[in-house]
Amino acid sequence: MRTLLVAVIMVLPGADLVAAQNPDSLARAREDSLRIVRELQAMGRRDTAAGQAPPQGRGPVNPRLLPDISAVGDLVADFSPKGSTQENASRVGVREVELQLIAAVDPYFRGEFLAAWSDAEGATLEQAILTTTSLPWGLQLRIGRVPLPFGKQNILHREALHTIEFPYVIQRFLSEEGLKANGVVASKVMAPFGFYQELQATVADRFGEAPEDLVAESPPSRTLEGLGYGLRLRNYWDLSESSNLEISASGATGLREQPFAVPVDDISATLVRQTLVGLDVTYRWRPLQQGLYRSFLLQGELMKQLNSQDVPPNYEGPTRDFTGAYLLARYQVGRRSYIGARYDWVQDPEAGGIAHQAGTIQFQFLPSEFSKITAAVERRGLKGEGGTTRLLLQTTFAIGPHRPHPF
Amino acid sequence: MKSIPIGSALLLAAGLAVAAPAPPDPPLRVVTSTTDLADLARQVGGTRVRVTHISRGYQDPHFVEAKPSFVLELRKADLFAYVGLDLEIGWMQPLLDGARNAKILRGGAGNLDVSTAIPVIDVPQGNVDRSQGDVHPLGNPHYWLDPENGKRIARLFRDRFSALDPGGAAAYDANTLAFEARLNAAARGWAADLARIKGKPVVAWHTSWRYLADYTGMRIVGFVEPKPGVPPSASHLAGLILTMQRTGAKVIIMEPFYNRKTADFVASKTGATVLIIPPSVGGVKGVDDYVALMKYDIGAVASAFR
Repeated sequence: MRTLLVAVIMVLPGADLVAAQNPDSLARAREDSLRIVRELQAMGRRDTAAGQAPPQGRGPVNPRLLPDISAVGDLVADFSPKGSTQENASRVGVREVELQLIAAVDPYFRGEFLAAWSDAEGATLEQAILTTTSLPWGLQLRIGRVPLPFGKQNILHREALHTIEFPYVIQRFLSEEGLKANGVVASKVMAPFGFYQELQATVADRFGEAPEDLVAESPPSRTLEGLGYGLRLRNYWDLSESSNLEISASGATGLREQPFAVPVDDISATLVRQTLVGLDVTYRWRPLQQGLYRSFLLQGELMKQLNSQDVPPNYEGPTRDFTGAYLLARYQVGRRSYIGARYDWVQDPEAGGIAHQAGTIQFQFLPSEFSKITAAVERRGLKGEGGTTRLLLQTTFAIGPHRPHPF
Repeated sequence: MKSIPIGSALLLAAGLAVAAPAPPDPPLRVVTSTTDLADLARQVGGTRVRVTHISRGYQDPHFVEAKPSFVLELRKADLFAYVGLDLEIGWMQPLLDGARNAKILRGGAGNLDVSTAIPVIDVPQGNVDRSQGDVHPLGNPHYWLDPENGKRIARLFRDRFSALDPGGAAAYDANTLAFEARLNAAARGWAADLARIKGKPVVAWHTSWRYLADYTGMRIVGFVEPKPGVPPSASHLAGLILTMQRTGAKVIIMEPFYNRKTADFVASKTGATVLIIPPSVGGVKGVDDYVALMKYDIGAVASAFR
């Protein structure tokens, strides 16, 4: 707002001068200011002409029962000094376009489809979810391809993150784009101790993405033991009218393909149990009266990947545990602008557990609720090795019905 | 010696706690999206309803956070009443999803879109898209700022409460009549204020004052927002200043949750008064019910023209 005011103060004192120099532009500005009034007056006349008709006479707003259709574009430019760090090495690319359809299926279920296209990966089905709406005892089932309820950020779409990319601990332990699960998530809301709690239990076809280059003798889901299982407990407290705290714990486990040192009869992997546990904390502050202009968020997640020590001969997968975490802070400096910073630390499984660290600062500008521009500078690298600098610029935009505000 | 009176007091307290009958649960648990609907529900429901609300009177109702603590209120509600016309579109659905309460989902007996009782104004005609700002395609949702709509809302609550709790129908009817009598009496009191306001040009920050303008007869000649929900640009403000100079508008009406610096700047260029008035019950101290809200707002606008 201060930025806006400065701009206004800089521009307006010259208004008389502008008027003298360019009467056309001033006339246009005045016309612009009056247009909305005229439109509203015209609408008012139409409404009045309708004679304050009984409002019950209004017809359905969606007589064809069409689903809500929305699309989100996520464009990323990478101006890193030593070359692009994007998956497909592009300097400017369409990271993803999402198309989402949501509607009530019947009185018992709501359906949701989310398909995505990207320059790097082509078309993928991100989500296909059937959600129950009328189970008793506060229960809810989500069936289909769902974001795995693990941690705070993994359940978000990438374009809805407060940062351009997922924290590295999620990228290394779950997936670069957040981990999805094909299965069932059962959840229950409760308040046995007087505050909000939600327990989410997941049973999935597998834990983790299927590796493209590894083939085991049988898929993990051949036995019930090999399925993916998850549990998450959310705890939420209102600290005051303006601030709140969420502390949650998550766990997930399943058999995963891990590589053999030397393939045996085209079998390149064996199935070994991997477990992930995590703790996440989120503090939010937003004063109710000035909430359009000021807010603050502090969020951190700590995760530990537990790998089995009981492995067969010829095994080349991980035999140690790995830990990772991030800390994110985001402060709203005006109605449309935010500054933020994130620190990442993760024992990188792909680098034998050497610590991978990154520090990011960013500035976000939201022209409206439906578009967002983020500029970020990141310094990252493995401990003991030289770091690299990344310069990223992201633009996201949404069309279609108004989506819920993120919380 | 001290332990005897303390012990006695504890025993007495315990005895009272056991002896005092717990207040009976009212027949209806009502959750409303705004404080205005909450007060009207209380006026109509009396002691037969327990009412809580989600947004506060000094908060922009478009931008309420969907806190999980609201879910705990909603999951036990018999009725959820909301303004509708997409006012709550940014936060209502996640709360209803989280509550897992079939009664208050759309189509349920406990889901009450209050706008269905209102003759809505500012319904956009023709094609609607986001180039028009954060437009409400179904019309202007700030209808409670017209006292005639306050009566319509009360009658709607009376009907729905009676359907959900037939045993209380007579009480709801009597309460509604009493509320309307109170509002009519208050309206007679502010008749002189209306005469002072009628026909006067004003500028409003947002389209939220359109219903109040219709009721009072004041003329809104411009908005600080160039389009609904869009912060003003310098060129828009320049045009607005010229409009105010041309029309003689000397009052800028705005809600307490907007930053007044921009309005102050426009006022400094036009000699206007910035009038910050609450759009909802609880928006300022002392405005604790619907009748008080209307009285406060109408009185404040009239005072600006003295």
